[in-house]
Amino acid sequence: MAQNSQILPSKEASLFRHLVQNYETKQYKKGLKAAEQILRKHPNHGDTQAMKALILSNQGKADEAFELCKLALKNAMKSHVCWHVYGLLYRQQKNYEEAIKAYRFALRLDPDSQQIQRDLALLQVQMRDYTGYVQSRRQMLQMKPGTRQNWTALAIGLHLSGDLAGAEDVLHRYEESMKHTPSRSDMEHAEALLYKNTIIAESGDVKRALDHLDSIHKTALDRTAVMELRAEYLLRLDRKEEAEKTYNKLLKRNPERRAYYAGLERSLGLDRASKEDHQKLGQVYHEFAEQSERIDAARRIPLDFKEDDAFREHADKYLRRIFKKGIPSAFANVKQLYSDPAKKEIIRELVEGYLNEEPQANGGAELAKPDVQTNGSTKAQIKPPKLDPVLTWQLSVNYFLAQHYDYHLSRDLAKAQKYIDKTISINPSKTDYTYHMARARIIKHRGSTVDASAAMNEAREMDLKDRYINTKCAKYQLRNDQNSDAIETVGLFTRKEAVGGPLGDLLDMQCVWYITEDGESYFRQSKLSLALKRFKSVYDIFETWQEDQFDFHTFSLRKGMVRAYIDMVRWEDKLQEHPFFTRAALSAIRIYLLLHDRPELSKDGGQANGESAESAAERKKAAKKAKREAEKVEAEKKLAAAKKAQPAKGEEAETKKEDQDPQGLEAFKTAAAQPLEEAMKYLQPLLELSPKNIDGQIAGFEVYIRRSKSSRSSARTDKCTDGIVAGNYLPALKCLLAIQALQPEHPKWHEQSGRLRVALDGLSEPLPDQVKQVIDETYLSKLDTKKSMDESNEEYLTVHRDSAAHVQSVVRLRRALHPDSSDATVKSAQDLRDTIGSEATSLQDAEEGLRVLDELRAGADAKESYVKAAKERWTEATVFQQR
Amino acid sequence: MDIRVLHPSDIPHVQQTNITNLPENYFCKYYLYHALSWPQLSYVAVDVSRPKKTPYDAPKIVGYVLAKMEEDPADGVQHGHITSLSVMRTHRRLGLAEKLMRQSQRAMFETYGAVYVSLHVRVSNVAARSLYEDTLGFKNNGTEEKYYADGEDAFSMRKELDYLREEALDDESDEEGGTIGQDEGAEVGSAGKAGDGADGEKKKERKRKVKVGRGLGVGELVERNESAPQTNGTS
Repeated sequence: MAQNSQILPSKEASLFRHLVQNYETKQYKKGLKAAEQILRKHPNHGDTQAMKALILSNQGKADEAFELCKLALKNAMKSHVCWHVYGLLYRQQKNYEEAIKAYRFALRLDPDSQQIQRDLALLQVQMRDYTGYVQSRRQMLQMKPGTRQNWTALAIGLHLSGDLAGAEDVLHRYEESMKHTPSRSDMEHAEALLYKNTIIAESGDVKRALDHLDSIHKTALDRTAVMELRAEYLLRLDRKEEAEKTYNKLLKRNPERRAYYAGLERSLGLDRASKEDHQKLGQVYHEFAEQSERIDAARRIPLDFKEDDAFREHADKYLRRIFKKGIPSAFANVKQLYSDPAKKEIIRELVEGYLNEEPQANGGAELAKPDVQTNGSTKAQIKPPKLDPVLTWQLSVNYFLAQHYDYHLSRDLAKAQKYIDKTISINPSKTDYTYHMARARIIKHRGSTVDASAAMNEAREMDLKDRYINTKCAKYQLRNDQNSDAIETVGLFTRKEAVGGPLGDLLDMQCVWYITEDGESYFRQSKLSLALKRFKSVYDIFETWQEDQFDFHTFSLRKGMVRAYIDMVRWEDKLQEHPFFTRAALSAIRIYLLLHDRPELSKDGGQANGESAESAAERKKAAKKAKREAEKVEAEKKLAAAKKAQPAKGEEAETKKEDQDPQGLEAFKTAAAQPLEEAMKYLQPLLELSPKNIDGQIAGFEVYIRRSKSSRSSARTDKCTDGIVAGNYLPALKCLLAIQALQPEHPKWHEQSGRLRVALDGLSEPLPDQVKQVIDETYLSKLDTKKSMDESNEEYLTVHRDSAAHVQSVVRLRRALHPDSSDATVKSAQDLRDTIGSEATSLQDAEEGLRVLDELRAGADAKESYVKAAKERWTEATVFQQR
Repeated sequence: MDIRVLHPSDIPHVQQTNITNLPENYFCKYYLYHALSWPQLSYVAVDVSRPKKTPYDAPKIVGYVLAKMEEDPADGVQHGHITSLSVMRTHRRLGLAEKLMRQSQRAMFETYGAVYVSLHVRVSNVAARSLYEDTLGFKNNGTEEKYYADGEDAFSMRKELDYLREEALDDESDEEGGTIGQDEGAEVGSAGKAGDGADGEKKKERKRKVKVGRGLGVGELVERNESAPQTNGTS
């Protein structure tokens, strides 16, 4: 009987069709009206309720929509429309697993629905359920075998699921079925052929791939790809002469592609590692360099393999050439060579020698000529003025030396300062800020973030229309914790109409660097809630990037650019391995650890402890400003809306809401309540996608070792059963062993290994046998346990006294061994202070030492003495001035 | 410096280069839209000199050209368009912009049979104008008033790509039998169709978006008729 109430009389049935149409055309108001009209007479009509729910959900009323859809399902359990909508609602919430379930139900009720099948397939590929995707795609192909897209899609599913032969076969079968030869400009066809070719190559049958490539040579429109693949196949088949020919052709097209040169070297059978080949290699590159004055790669590459006098001679030529041209990236072009101390020294000698030369005299004379000729350009009015060659030379040489002495492998900041001052004094341009920028950088390396920020701002003021220097300036302001100045600076270039002011624009435009730097700055200032909010924003941007692929599952099939699509899918699979993510995640984890260790930090909502009057004032100022800005934006929006007479797609236009919690206090409450659980969100992608990043493993150990212990500490009530607690020793151990495998000499291996032993020794109840066995076998049995941990720790200290990082690890382990000993703390404070005197200690090391002192709660005196010593060494360092 | 075609995995750094240098910015999806619609046309310049800190270091992008084919050319002539081009200040004077542009132009011609390439440049951007006009041989086609969001005018420039046909013919003489480049001018119209059945509405929309310089995503670009009933494909 219930089903009968689900059948509408013809008038309402036609209304329902309108309703569906209204939804499709996004006329939501009309749709809702129609739904109301039907429901007035048939209040329990499930499909209408479902459609109404769908509209509500699209209007952002998710809760209401779910309510209503559940009611609809109650009324019409067997309606595929209701289940389909239920799935769509889940999909909108990004709960893909539940969405897939609902779609499956819907599909069972209406097996022939192409829409449901397609929606299901989309989620399956998004979720990387390739088995399910292949099934769905087979169905869709059966329903519509005439469409090429359906064949290609099935091939993609098979390919991604690892069935290369199956994928190739599907593509082949479609080709066989084609009745006409496609037109020469048929991109879909051209790309499908190349796609098939890459599948053949992936299967390992290179010979067949090459034959196939030759057979599609004329049809494949992507010439570069065809030539690159051909060269690669020939090389893999050891057909070197042909490979050489192809690489030469490729280099003619693009002489700046490093991979082509590498391929050419291999096809010539030349090896950079063998000295006998250097002469021949040099000749090869010389010939390419001769072909055009504009080629850099062929001139730069020989510096990588040449040595001694040959290197000196080539470096001399190379540097003279770029100095004469006044290329500002000269140093960036060669600094990679500095990892070889001999080359670093030769470059220094050469360039210091240039100081006393003028290009007209000695070797530079004939090199300087071409530039002089260009002075008479007829289009002078739009060309930047040419510099006199003597000046160009002097600028280049001094600027290079400034960068040389600023670089961490050849640092002598006093000299760097001298050279940059000289450069600036001869710089004739009032707008070219390049050298002022370098000056700010040198100041930064001396440790004064205050002066560096001011210097970069001076550089910025030289060219206010240039965004690059604006960006640099904002970065330096953030490094100096001038958060509101920084946002004002970037605000000069952000969209005026953005909701939420400049920061809103940066978030919209996914400007990860700024958000990360802003977060790190708040972290430095102990404004933990704001810091976490920023890192969460980075996390969310990566979520968005993940979500971005969704539309391309259909879009790319239509466009037919399958190779690019596969490329994207594979990138998305490991999206969070990106250093942008890692950096933000590591900082976020550090905050969570801090919140776990010192719950009192969360009391004032993670604002700076006892907020100073100054920062309170700044906050008020910022809040006021944000309000002003919001009002301005509002006014502008109204104005814009008034200007636009007819609201084009007004209903669909998503109105971005104001941030209700700009300080991040709400999210902070959750974070403070269960910091280790929250940390896992950041940690898991790190361990899964970038396991070879040692910092991720170190952070992993810190999280897991705390999770192991947390239920024993009465202060905290993380929801852990004992089983889970014990279970965390193994992941902690896994991280530890990974650290050892990556870098056995890393100080964290020593420290964390010791701390794990302390934890295992102090267990109040024994671990389950299985866990104990694994720990014994993979770890404890391999340790040298003859000496006491104290002894080995002190021995380690003696060996590594000169390395601040090692000493810090010793001190942290000592703390774990003697948590309550004031003697140990005194000794530790002394050891830390001693690191200041070690030449190898960097300013960053010294800052970290200060943090360790805090962890030890070593007391004001110890800290003062440490800071005093540090101040004497880094006289300008802001970080020690403020204490 | 290494000049190569743009891959999706380059996008975070391309995006960073863009927002560091230029006032017109785009979100990731818009770059993806380019990379997945015309994957042959966009190029990047990579600084290969940076020592790797971890195995996951992404290539450091110091310059890029983001390019596309005009989907429904008003003049009916198949042509390419430069959406965005930028090189880091620290890597100027290496000729990177020119090298990037040349690679992109060749791909437009070879893969899509583009007859010319067009672009817009700020009237005040002297350095860029010099690159386009003097180095690359673009012709100034007139002014588009208030093209940019901040009210500045743009010069509309274009460059014919027939020089590539001659280059290709030269190349063919030493190639065994293969023909490079598309020589059937008549097929130009249908080439657009092969890529996509673009509708007129999109053209208008595109222009408005590019003027603002951002806010354009695939969502808007997916045709309505494809987002069949009861899906959210375009939301």
